[in-house]
Amino acid sequence: MESRILKPTLAIYVALFILFLYGPFVVLTIISFQQGPEGGPQFPIIEWSTYWYRHIFGLTPPSRIAPLPFGEALLRSLVLALMTMVVSTVLGVMSAQAFRRKFKGSGVVFYLIVLGMMVPGVLTGLGTSLLANNVIGIERHWYTTAFATHVAYTFPFAFLVMLAILNRFDASVEEAAWSLGVDPWTTFRKVTFPLIFPGVLSAMLFAFTLSLDEFPRTLFASGRDQTLPLAIYGTFSVEIHPNIFAFGVLTTLFSFALLSVYGILMAMSVRRAKKMAMQEDIA
Amino acid sequence: MAYDLQLSHIGKVYDNGTPAVIDFNLDVDKGEFIAFLGPSGCGKSTTLRMIAGFESITSGDLLIRGKRINDLEPEKRPTSMIFQNYALFPHMTVRQNVMFGLEVKQLPAGEAKRKVDRILEKLGLTEVADIRPTRLSGGQRQRIALARSLVVEPDILLLDEPLGALDANLRKSIQNELKLLQRDLGITFVFVTHAQSEALALSDRIVVMNAGRVEQISPPRELYTRPQSIFVARFIGANTLISGSVRSVSGAQITLDTAFGPLTADAPASVPTIGRPASIVLPAEAMHVLPAALPEAEIREKGGSNMVPCTITRLQLVGHILQIGLVLPNGEAVTLEGHADKYRDTLSAGSPAVVAWQPSDATLIVQ
Repeated sequence: MESRILKPTLAIYVALFILFLYGPFVVLTIISFQQGPEGGPQFPIIEWSTYWYRHIFGLTPPSRIAPLPFGEALLRSLVLALMTMVVSTVLGVMSAQAFRRKFKGSGVVFYLIVLGMMVPGVLTGLGTSLLANNVIGIERHWYTTAFATHVAYTFPFAFLVMLAILNRFDASVEEAAWSLGVDPWTTFRKVTFPLIFPGVLSAMLFAFTLSLDEFPRTLFASGRDQTLPLAIYGTFSVEIHPNIFAFGVLTTLFSFALLSVYGILMAMSVRRAKKMAMQEDIA
Repeated sequence: MAYDLQLSHIGKVYDNGTPAVIDFNLDVDKGEFIAFLGPSGCGKSTTLRMIAGFESITSGDLLIRGKRINDLEPEKRPTSMIFQNYALFPHMTVRQNVMFGLEVKQLPAGEAKRKVDRILEKLGLTEVADIRPTRLSGGQRQRIALARSLVVEPDILLLDEPLGALDANLRKSIQNELKLLQRDLGITFVFVTHAQSEALALSDRIVVMNAGRVEQISPPRELYTRPQSIFVARFIGANTLISGSVRSVSGAQITLDTAFGPLTADAPASVPTIGRPASIVLPAEAMHVLPAALPEAEIREKGGSNMVPCTITRLQLVGHILQIGLVLPNGEAVTLEGHADKYRDTLSAGSPAVVAWQPSDATLIVQ
C-alpha cells in the first residue's frame, strides 16, 4: 500500500529533479547548434550547424557579430581558481588539523571561519571594495581584492571537508610514528598526509570550482579586468547570440573533464589498494 | 643502581577535573616484564600513554634510566609502543612499515636494510615483506607491529592490550612468543591488559589498578596467594572469600567470627581492633577436602586447624587431576583441583566432607 504511493511519488520527484538540473543545459546545448550568423536564441532551430562554435574560435568569416571577448577573462579565471585552490586547501588542511585538539576559543574561531561561506556574497564584495578604496586606499584587482574574497569564500568549504576527513582519522598511526622516533612534521608528511589525500583532493575540487564561477563577490571586488563569469554577464547587456551558449557548453564540458580527472585519481588510488589486496591473496 | 623506569607519585587529572591516575609509584628493573592489570577505565592505559609521552603528566616524576622525562616529546623517548589495533601504516608495505623508524635515524646505507631483514627474519615476516599489511591476518599484523617497534631498539617496549584483538588460540601462541622474545632481547616490557590470565602467564610483576589507584604490586603467584585487598582477591579470582569480624587477637593469630564459626588466620602487619570487619582469602590450592567421618585430630593434622563442613557435589578425574565440586554451608559453590593420588578413594559425591586449611596458607584482609 505504502509503496504503491511512495514509490511513484519519489520517482516523479527524481524525474523533476533531473529535469531541472539538466533541462537548462539541454536547451543551451540545442540552441548552441543554431544556424549562424542570422539565427538567434530561439526555437525552433532554423538549421543545425556548428557555426557558433567556429565563431568562438574566430574560424568564421567576419560578420556584424563580434567574437566573444573571453580569451583573457578565461585565463584570469583559471589562474584565480588555481591560486584560490592552493591557498584555500593549504589553509583548510592546516586549520582542520588545528581543530583536532580543543583549544581556547575554538568554538568562536569555527564560526568565524564558516561565516565566510554564509554571509551574502554581494555584501562581501561590496565591503571589500569599500575597504580597499576608502580605508586602505589600494586599487582593486582580480588577483588582489577579488582573490581575497575568493579565499574567504572557499576556505570554509575546504576546512569543513578536511574536518570531516580528520574526524574519522585514526590518530594512533601518528602516535605509532612518534613512538618510533619520527618527529611530528615528518609524521605529517609521510603518514598523515598520504592517508588524508583523497580528502585533500575533494577540498581542492571544491575550492577550484567554487572560485571558477564565483560572481557576486567578484563583481565588486575585481576592479577593471573582468573574470569569466563577469565577462559573460557583460555580453548579456548588449544582445544575446547563440555563441554564448556554445561557450557555455564548452565550459561545462571542461567542468566534466575536471570531474573526470578527479574521479580517475580517486579510482586509481582505490584500484591500487585493491590490486595490492589481490596480490596478497595470491601470495 | 638506576632503575630502567621509575614512576614516582605520578598523577593525572583530566582538563575537566576528573582524576585518571592517583599517586602511582613503581620502580622497574631492566629486563623486567611488568603488567598493568585492571578493569577498563582503571587508568592503566593512561599510565602507559604517560610513559610513552602521549598524555601529559599532572604531577609526580617519570624517570627513564635515572633521567626525568616528564616533558620530553614522545619521539625523543627511548620507548616504543604497540597498539591494540596495531596502528600499522596502511599505505606502506610490511618492509616500509618496519623501515620507517630507521629512515629518520640516518644510519649508514645498508645497515638499516640489514637490521630490517634481520628482524623480519626473526619474526617470520620475510615472505610477506613486500605486501601491504591491510589484508594480513591479525597474528601477522601483530608481528609487524612488534618488528616495527623492536627494530628501533627501544629501551622499553610499551604494549597496550596487544592481544585483545586476537582470537583465543592465537592469543595463547603469541603470548608464548612474546615471552620468549622478551627474554631473548632482555629489554623491559610494560604490558597493559584487562585479562588476568595474560598478566599471570607473562609478567614478572603485576600492577593491579582500580579506579586510578594502584591496589597491589606483586609477582603473579603472590597476587594470587597473598592478595592485599578484597578488590585484588575478587579480580584475580580462583579464591574463596570468607567474611566476618575480628573476635580476638592473640599474638600473631587472629580469630574471626564467620558464618562458618570461628576461623583463625595470621595477623597482617597492622593488627586490627576487635570487631573490625575482615575477610579470609582462601586460595583453592590451600584447601584440603577430607571425609567428614574422619576424627577431628586427623583432619587437623592432614588439612589444617580451620575447618568448614561442606557437601561434595561432583568428582571428576581428568588425567592425574581430580576436580572436586563442593558446596559450603552458605550455598557457595567451590571447585578445587587436586592430585588424584592425594584423594584416592577417600571421597564420594553427595557425601558430607570437611574443607580444612592451615591459617598460614590463607590471607587476612581487614576492611
